[in-house]
Amino acid sequence: MRLLTIGGVISYRALFNWATPAMFIGTLLVGPVFQLLFFAYLGRQLGVADDGFYIVGNAVLAASALCLFGGSMAVLNERRFGTLGHVLLSPRSRTLTWIGRALPYAGNGLLVAAFTLVMGKLLLGLPIPAGAWPGLAATLASAALACAAFGLVLGAFALRFRDAWLINNTTVTLMVLFSGTNVPRESLPGWMQAAGNFIPVTHAASAARSLVHGASFGSVAPRIGQELLIGAAYAVLAGVLLKVFEAESRRRASLDTL
Amino acid sequence: MSDYAIEADGLRRSYRSRTGWLRPQTTVVDAVRGVTFAVGRGELFGLLGPNGAGKTTTIKMLNTLLIPTAGTARVLGHDVVRETREVRKRIGYVFGGDRGLYERLSALDNLRYFAELYGVPAREQKARIGELLELVGLTGREGERVEGYSRGMRQRLHIARGLLHRPEVLFLDEPSIGVDPVAARDLRKTVADLAAGGTTVLLTTHYMAEADELCDRIAVIAGGELRALGTPTELKRHADGRRVVEVEAYGVAPGTVELLQALPGVRGVQIEESGAAQLLTVQSESDVDVQSDVLAALNGVRLGRVSARQPTLEDAYVAIVSGDGGPARESLVAA
Ligand SMILES: Nc1ncnc2c1ncn2[C@@H]1O[C@H](COP(=O)(O)OP(=O)(O)OP(=O)(O)O)[C@@H](O)[C@H]1O
Ligand SMILES: [Mg+2]
Repeated sequence: MRLLTIGGVISYRALFNWATPAMFIGTLLVGPVFQLLFFAYLGRQLGVADDGFYIVGNAVLAASALCLFGGSMAVLNERRFGTLGHVLLSPRSRTLTWIGRALPYAGNGLLVAAFTLVMGKLLLGLPIPAGAWPGLAATLASAALACAAFGLVLGAFALRFRDAWLINNTTVTLMVLFSGTNVPRESLPGWMQAAGNFIPVTHAASAARSLVHGASFGSVAPRIGQELLIGAAYAVLAGVLLKVFEAESRRRASLDTL
Repeated sequence: MSDYAIEADGLRRSYRSRTGWLRPQTTVVDAVRGVTFAVGRGELFGLLGPNGAGKTTTIKMLNTLLIPTAGTARVLGHDVVRETREVRKRIGYVFGGDRGLYERLSALDNLRYFAELYGVPAREQKARIGELLELVGLTGREGERVEGYSRGMRQRLHIARGLLHRPEVLFLDEPSIGVDPVAARDLRKTVADLAAGGTTVLLTTHYMAEADELCDRIAVIAGGELRALGTPTELKRHADGRRVVEVEAYGVAPGTVELLQALPGVRGVQIEESGAAQLLTVQSESDVDVQSDVLAALNGVRLGRVSARQPTLEDAYVAIVSGDGGPARESLVAA
């Protein structure tokens, strides 16, 4: 249990590039708010969708990018520091170790999403029903967890491929597109909509929007469930990939080359 | 339970690496080519050899980080390929170098995290970490971030980490690299104490005096193969029947080494810069006195101290790795 919690927190501080006050505020708090404003004003201009659409979408997205990069850094930076070998010498459960690493990002993501949402409400004056907040919190948490698990999958690829940042950046861009956070999904081609069903954020974003428009928690619960299910699936996939790539690194001696 | 702490049987490992992008070429390096040895429980075993000899590769196979291409190995009776968890619980690994630490964390947090990873019980962690910081002399600086550490301080932290979980078998890959002389002496004492306390130690080092002082037995590996194995005293016999002449000289002309090498009876020549002077070490067969020939060959060069001495482990090492040492090879060369 300590490996999961304390270990997770220490590793977060060790491996997360943005865990300094300046980077944290700049990249994780201020950045997303400007991104939100950008899309909201663009949306007003083009008349595609209302403020609520963008505020909620970008709040969820802010969490997702962070969790995604975080999960990936949790593995990638080990290689940068040359510590991976020492970590892999641990006789303890790999599952606990890796999940412990993803959790702080999920918590952090939740915080960032909530901040973005509140700022959006304050700056753009979006009315959010008071009763919607607990549901929104649950929704954002599900998205953060799912994204952190997805981030670990990307992290696993970092064990295997040198160009991990290429994969990360491409993935985030695709995620913005497919999840319909900044483009209404109905306007996307069918295959993109279909792909959106299998990635984190899509269901959470849709649930959050409904909540803001006054839907009851009960009516969005299935979508939150879907988001969590997707998260669980990615967590399992990450576990399998990490195991496979670790075994492969012992065979191919790919650990110490960067 | 096995009688040995470490058993390596015909270990081999080759690396494949790709170069080129348009026309990729695969090169295969045979880093270790069939190494067999056994280390007893509580033994302090040295692994010596030139750069690229395959020492680190051998250690990485023994500590489960690499899978051997062929051969088998066991640590405390557990197979290093199949029973990784059992092996990992019982071993510690110290790797020389600047990397391998979390730069943004303090020494204390580095140790905390690895204490967790290496399964040190929660209630013992604090005391154990304090004890180790004391042992490696980092007490008082444990709160600073590692990125500001000097090379030697990093190395001390590496050592502390390797000892966290009181491993039964300790792999020390150049532990004294970058460590100052006093700390190196403390380190040798620590290692000797650990071995005296029953810990099995496998040590690689490029400092012959260190190996001579510490090791119960030494294996010399070169080109991925075992060249010699024995106690330091036994190994020194490889330089038996040799005489060593050391000459301090100022301004040795290029080509002189080759000239000396060609003298009758000379078996090996090394040159080493020491300040303004150069130190020439000439090994020769014992029944030939090469001193006068050597001095004649150095005619015109300003000379300092000239001395003859008994061969050391270093001389034996040089004899072994340069491939013409050892009673077994002697006859071959002579024939
Ligand atoms: N990951 C790798 N990929 C390809 N070749 C490698 C790799 N690691 C080591 N080698 C090669 O294997 C050989 C043995 O290397 P190794 O690190 O075992 O030597 P060593 O005896 O530890 O040397 P040193 O004294 O310099 O530490 C070298 O030729 C090296 O280039
Ligand atoms: Mg080495």
